[in-house]
Amino acid sequence: MYRLALNMLFGDRAKLAMLLCGLAFSALLMAQQSSVFFGIMSWTYTPMVNVRAQVWVSDPMVEQVNDAKPLRDTDLGRVRSVDGVAWAAPLHTSFVQARMQDGNFKLITLVGIDADTFTGAPAILSQGRIEDLRLPDTVIVDEWGAALMGRKTLGPDGKIRNTPLTVGDTFEVNDIQARIVGICKVRRAFTGGPFVYTTYDRAKAYTLGARRTLSFMLVEPQKGITPGELCDRIELATGLKAWTSDTVIWSWGERSLARNTFWWFWTNTGIPFSFGTAVLLGLFVGIAISGQTFYSFVLENLKYFAAIKAMGAGMGIIARMLFVQAFTAGLIGFGLGAGMAQAIGRVMIEKGMPPFVMYPQILWATFVLVLGISFVSAIIGIIKVSRVDAASVFRG
Amino acid sequence: MNPLTSTVAVHTRGVDMFFGTPENRVVALKQAEFEARRGELIMLVGPSGCGKTTLLSVIAGTLTPQAGTVEVFGQRLDGLSQEALTTFRRQHLGFVFQSFNLIPTLSVLENVMIPLLIQGRPHDEARTRSLAIIEKVGLKGREEGQPNALSGGQQQRVAIARALVHEPPLLICDEPTSALDKDTGAQILEMVRDLSRSPERCVVVVTHDHRIFRFADRIAEMEDGRISRVVADPKLLDTTYL
Repeated sequence: MYRLALNMLFGDRAKLAMLLCGLAFSALLMAQQSSVFFGIMSWTYTPMVNVRAQVWVSDPMVEQVNDAKPLRDTDLGRVRSVDGVAWAAPLHTSFVQARMQDGNFKLITLVGIDADTFTGAPAILSQGRIEDLRLPDTVIVDEWGAALMGRKTLGPDGKIRNTPLTVGDTFEVNDIQARIVGICKVRRAFTGGPFVYTTYDRAKAYTLGARRTLSFMLVEPQKGITPGELCDRIELATGLKAWTSDTVIWSWGERSLARNTFWWFWTNTGIPFSFGTAVLLGLFVGIAISGQTFYSFVLENLKYFAAIKAMGAGMGIIARMLFVQAFTAGLIGFGLGAGMAQAIGRVMIEKGMPPFVMYPQILWATFVLVLGISFVSAIIGIIKVSRVDAASVFRG
Repeated sequence: MNPLTSTVAVHTRGVDMFFGTPENRVVALKQAEFEARRGELIMLVGPSGCGKTTLLSVIAGTLTPQAGTVEVFGQRLDGLSQEALTTFRRQHLGFVFQSFNLIPTLSVLENVMIPLLIQGRPHDEARTRSLAIIEKVGLKGREEGQPNALSGGQQQRVAIARALVHEPPLLICDEPTSALDKDTGAQILEMVRDLSRSPERCVVVVTHDHRIFRFADRIAEMEDGRISRVVADPKLLDTTYL
């Protein structure tokens, strides 16, 4: 009977197309919105991705990576003296105004890294060399920032053109010159400001007047010591807060700075509500369109289901037929919707905007929700068919 | 009565059936007594609203009467659970409906296979048996076509094939010729009679169509919810209501 159930479904192409549209649209909306949501949320812990270190040490009051509470420089020595620390490097992060050559100001994320080891330096440079940061007044700017801070010029066609900054261009931070010696590729930040890398000591100079400039300490454990163990030791010995650099937000654990950052944004901003509403909307639209279409499909076939009942098919057989029809439509609809979400995601990833991270868990959740929609649709149909009197087939 | 040796196929005794609320009661059957024998084709005739379809539904086990007994091939239907009635219909009944009730999105072959698949027969067996009966009703070569592409007469042939494919002992036909012209109607009834003629099978036909009365072995006339008389010769019927 299941083969016949499927043939009944595929035989009515107009209804099937509408049913699949509803399910695919619903799957697309849920998968795409969730992926953009997690993409945006992944930006919240961007420094953890761009700056690679096994252990991060911060002020005990720090709740997330964008909320640096400056430490004393002497704290670096205290951490270095903890048993199990292979090495520790300073890291400065702050938001400062950069004055461009055309007089315009841009808010930048200034990152000061250790000039000796370059711990925390960007992994990929598309222009220049990291060693050039040791030259006076030098910085490295990320690609997106170079474009954002670019020069606006009037083209011969009368249109304004943006020429991205490149190696050799300059701007000022607190009236101190910053000369670009490299362009790097890093992940963008939630706060939106371009990343400008310089040495830790120069970052101090750029942030005139700041009494404390040590935002984090990047620490490497000695061989045989896990990051978690080292965190415990550092906290016990210094009273500071130590974090692991694990960026898997799905697992549980208090130690991950990325995970804490993610959940801080989850609970303290309206982003989850906003995207959650879109996902719920996708679910409701899916239930409404698919439920209605499937119900109308059942209504149209009601007299045939009544005939099948009269011929001796129990509700068990008919319910299974309807489940087969609904779940088959659900599977195809999910495939189409998830496929479209992937295709849109590829375009987004190429453009870099908006951020798009499709975790396997998103696909699984969308799959379960689409099957849920199919289940609800089937139940609506089953209720309708169960109320049909088999004797109605004799009434013309 | 021993169901194996009895000549009686269907027997209703004192069947009452009414619809609606106690205040607005519509009596459909009133002490209806009906008997059909094995090997015969019996027609139920009578004016509209006399209770023919209701009696047919009671015999088919799709309606349970408020009073009286219904016995089909030795099996008492009154008092059976819905599940048992469903199983009984699956094994013992074939249906030919007024409006064919062929599923338009399925092929002719798939429509005919339905009763066998409901019985849980393997797909290959259902296919083989369905192809054989489709050939018997003269539709060889149309198996893969859609029912809507067939004429009314051809669609009713498909319905007959579907009703007989699982070889049920009781064939129920509800106005099988009402949607057909005179000649096609006659052909269909001839086919029903020829294909279902068996000493172990009984055919009950509800009809308004006096042109097919000649195919009946006996005709039971209904009036006001009960059988008023049973005749073998259609000429003895009062057909003024037709």
